[in-house]
Amino acid sequence: MTTRRAFLKSGGLALFGIGLGGLPSFLARAAETGNTLINPFKRRKVLVCIFQRGAMDGLMAVTPFNDQYLKAARPTLFMSAAKGGKGTPLIDLDGQFGLHPAMKAFEPMFLEKRLAIVHGVGSPNKTRSHFDAQDYMESGTPYSKGTPSGWLNRAVGLLGHEAATPFQAVSLTSSMPRSFYGDSPAVAINNLQDFSIQMRGNVKGASMAAKSFEDLYDQTSPGLLKETGKESFDAMKMLQKTDIKNYRPANNVVYPVSPLGNALKQIAQLIKMDVGMEVAFAESGGWDTHFNQGTEQGIFARNVSDLSNSIMAFWSDMSGYQDDVTLMTMTEFGRTVKQNGTGGTDHGRASCSFILGNDVNGGIVHQNIRPLSADNLEDGRDLAVSTDFRSMFSAVADKHLSINNDKVLFPDWKGEKITVMKG
Amino acid sequence: MRKATRPLPVLLAFIFTGFFFSSLSDDKAPFTLPYKKAGLTDKQAAAHLLSRFSYGPTPGQVAAVAEMGPENWLREQLDGKMPDDALNQRLEIYDAIDLSNEQVAQTYPKPGQIIRIGVKEGIISKDSVNKSDKSEYRAQLKQLMDSKGMKPQQELFRQFFNQKILRAAYSNNQFREIMTDFWFNHFNVSLTKNDCATYVPAYEREVIRPNVFGRFNALLMATAKSPAMLYYLDNFSSSGANARTPDPRAAQLRKRVEQRIMAQGGRMDTMNNPVAQRLQQAKKAQGLNENYAREVMELHTLGVDGGYTQEDVTQAARVLTGWTVNPAITGYVNPAVQKAMANAGLNRQQRQGGVTEGDFLFAANRHDPNEKTVLGKNFPANGGMEEGEALLNMLARHPSTAKFISKKIAIRFVSDNPPQSLVDRMAKTFTDKDGDIREVIYTMVSSPEFWSKEALREKTKSPFELAMSSARALNADIRQPYQLYTWIAKMGQKMYYYQAPTGFPDKGHYWINTGSLLNRMNFGLALASQRIPGVTIDLAALNDHHEPESAVAALVTYSKLVMPERDIEATVKRLTPMLNDPNLEKKIDAAAGKTAPPAQPGAATMTEEPLMASAPAKKTVEQPLKKNAKNTGNNTSSYAPGTNTMLAQVIGIIIGSPEFQRK
Repeated sequence: MTTRRAFLKSGGLALFGIGLGGLPSFLARAAETGNTLINPFKRRKVLVCIFQRGAMDGLMAVTPFNDQYLKAARPTLFMSAAKGGKGTPLIDLDGQFGLHPAMKAFEPMFLEKRLAIVHGVGSPNKTRSHFDAQDYMESGTPYSKGTPSGWLNRAVGLLGHEAATPFQAVSLTSSMPRSFYGDSPAVAINNLQDFSIQMRGNVKGASMAAKSFEDLYDQTSPGLLKETGKESFDAMKMLQKTDIKNYRPANNVVYPVSPLGNALKQIAQLIKMDVGMEVAFAESGGWDTHFNQGTEQGIFARNVSDLSNSIMAFWSDMSGYQDDVTLMTMTEFGRTVKQNGTGGTDHGRASCSFILGNDVNGGIVHQNIRPLSADNLEDGRDLAVSTDFRSMFSAVADKHLSINNDKVLFPDWKGEKITVMKG
Repeated sequence: MRKATRPLPVLLAFIFTGFFFSSLSDDKAPFTLPYKKAGLTDKQAAAHLLSRFSYGPTPGQVAAVAEMGPENWLREQLDGKMPDDALNQRLEIYDAIDLSNEQVAQTYPKPGQIIRIGVKEGIISKDSVNKSDKSEYRAQLKQLMDSKGMKPQQELFRQFFNQKILRAAYSNNQFREIMTDFWFNHFNVSLTKNDCATYVPAYEREVIRPNVFGRFNALLMATAKSPAMLYYLDNFSSSGANARTPDPRAAQLRKRVEQRIMAQGGRMDTMNNPVAQRLQQAKKAQGLNENYAREVMELHTLGVDGGYTQEDVTQAARVLTGWTVNPAITGYVNPAVQKAMANAGLNRQQRQGGVTEGDFLFAANRHDPNEKTVLGKNFPANGGMEEGEALLNMLARHPSTAKFISKKIAIRFVSDNPPQSLVDRMAKTFTDKDGDIREVIYTMVSSPEFWSKEALREKTKSPFELAMSSARALNADIRQPYQLYTWIAKMGQKMYYYQAPTGFPDKGHYWINTGSLLNRMNFGLALASQRIPGVTIDLAALNDHHEPESAVAALVTYSKLVMPERDIEATVKRLTPMLNDPNLEKKIDAAAGKTAPPAQPGAATMTEEPLMASAPAKKTVEQPLKKNAKNTGNNTSSYAPGTNTMLAQVIGIIIGSPEFQRK
């Protein structure tokens, strides 16, 4: 039996009015058995992961701008950090790496040492198939395809306490991402407003239907449907205490109107609602830039602009909660050093990741990249993977979520964690 | 009031049984289903069979199957030759679902291909791709596609989804459709992988459906040679480290083709030209790819604990090198170049011992000719394509495969944790009858375990099964199947998009989670109150237009109609007090009235017809199929007035109830 202890600590009965269906059942039970509900709430840490599907060109997002080989390999794509030249210069981070100007929203975070960049990160498996590389990265087992579970689901299993609420792991996507497959409970939902019994404006009808469903699921024979039914209604009631539709972000933040912006906005809502979420997942698409990638403007610039602006809107909205939140981006691989014949780049190997949070060892580009001369490239063409993605994922999971059972988190991996987190 | 005249599948079943039954029964040994020993009546047995081997009973079907005899119904289903005129009529409007792989590749190119062609032919300027105002760019694209007779790929997929839903809802060969779903999922391929996506519709139609009741090795072989699988699991690119040195003539040939492409204005940079891309790929020795070799053992045949090693995987991958896709079918470039290229390539292949079988090519020059050993069996040098076939046949007949496949079938049709005794018995049949799938199913249904208490109502419907069983139970008229597709996706099953080669897990725990369960309830309410566009039901007709005397009577009557042979007592008992609340109905109807669409003249008022939803929009029901159908069912149906009645609500609740989630 689930104890619901963590949630019991999290709020008082008063939070739940006599709205539709009344109290979540576990709170009602606790009240009956005289469990106290006055313990102060110990807020949980939240890890937010963003998967950039399609493989981001890490060399354009964060450019080693002194590298003459790169400059030669990308006659029309290479951007300079020098001011006063043609076009907007890169944002010089450390005299060696330059941030794409469309990501200027990230600059203050880097200066405040809350944002870290990991460069040359990727999978040891050399596949250049999106499908396989995503599968390997999300399962966390680059050499074993049959792994049924995703790494984030295993992470949830390793949190060391039972699921407090149905919302322990939430993916703001319409289907369950590969990272969330597995035995620990996880919710995938594209739109929080769907989390209700809907009768198209017929409030009374919906109310009656909800009550009927709740009764029917409550009295059905013990097992999966009964348990999940209870959780569903609990989840629904938890969400009902807030007006989801009219959510107003802190600091008058305006999120970009994009799938990622919407997802992060809803993640912020869930965090503020104290629904017990500890792992959140969102996606960003359009990174497969084979064709006319652009430089300071164009497809790539629009993508990184959406990425950084969505993340910064989220971060600003999280004011008051920032100590609890760490956000990490990931992408299945990087792209070729050399630009192709149509102003784009093809599938490569290593890319870069952004990690944001107050416990992050920020203001640094963590990297081991060698000059991009032909003999330093993987298979003679790509930025080599110098950091195994598992060294990064495990470091973040360890420091932020106190998960250190790497044998379970990343079976078959024996590497070292990188020092991307403080302490 | 007139009844809807659409013939029910069950009526057809009746009519044709008489004609065909005697001839069909002769070639099968007589068998008895041991349900009486388990204490079940004919009707209960019929309900159980229909819950597992069909997408749910239509009204009256349980009684009909009990009447004709459950054994006879099952035999008929295993033959799978029932006429499907009503279904075929509904499918007539879909012009893409019978296209060959080659036709699909020509007519529905991948989005990137269209842009490349446009740029190459100077119809689209590169700059317009990135313009923020996309209307001009879109117009250019559309014009280009129209001029070439090409259509958006999404349209192909939509037709493909629609046919699946219509087949499940209306086919008389229900078991064949269930097995098609089962084997597709077992040999999963996915629209998430771009290269594979083009070939998925033909994969289901030609590779899976014809083989669902046959011998397992035939099914395995067909999948292994299909473009969809070859792309999905990468075997198309796998070549031997010691592959024969290329024919010196090949280089000359390549040069000739290149010159030809240049002459036609095609550039040799790879992004612009898929032929060039393939040429360049061919230049690089890509080497061994173990992906398919691993999955064929782990997921398709032996199972992960089936007793193979990493060395077996590598050796099997070497055996299967050179198994690839016939270049003649792989996409639109320029038909002339494509053809020249393909013919030249194929001639060369044939000179070197290559073999084409339809869409499949065995490229001898990419095959590793050396000796291999897999699972202790030796494959001598120069085994060619035959050694791959021998390997697959060996895997299909392996004892681990018999167990693995039998268990998977039992999980699908008996319970999430089937008894070992049953699996063993099925595996023995699998081996004794050389992988005859029909025989394995006979063994399963002839076993007491299939009829035991532990099996009845123990499986959870997938979202697809829930949607289809609801539609069938309510005799729904589906004019816009895609609307159901999106609901099914919302409930957690985005069909044909499962990314991993494992396919959707066939267990209740995967389907039922907090988000998906609420969506199931909402689906029930939406369907019953006719809020799903293009899906209409006639609740009154279901009960022969007899109006129930009271809300409670309606609950009892319709519970029995929708859930035949189920114990409805608990459901009725739980819901009755609410229905008896003198004020509740008024409240709901009042609220419903506020939000209902504008009433049409003559629409029933609450006082005249307090319980019945008025008949659904007749227009859609009565229009002849073809008229309606011209543009793939995009007609927006009007919502029937007054559908938020108590009756619709009660039925919505039944559909969303825990009992209806079970099968």
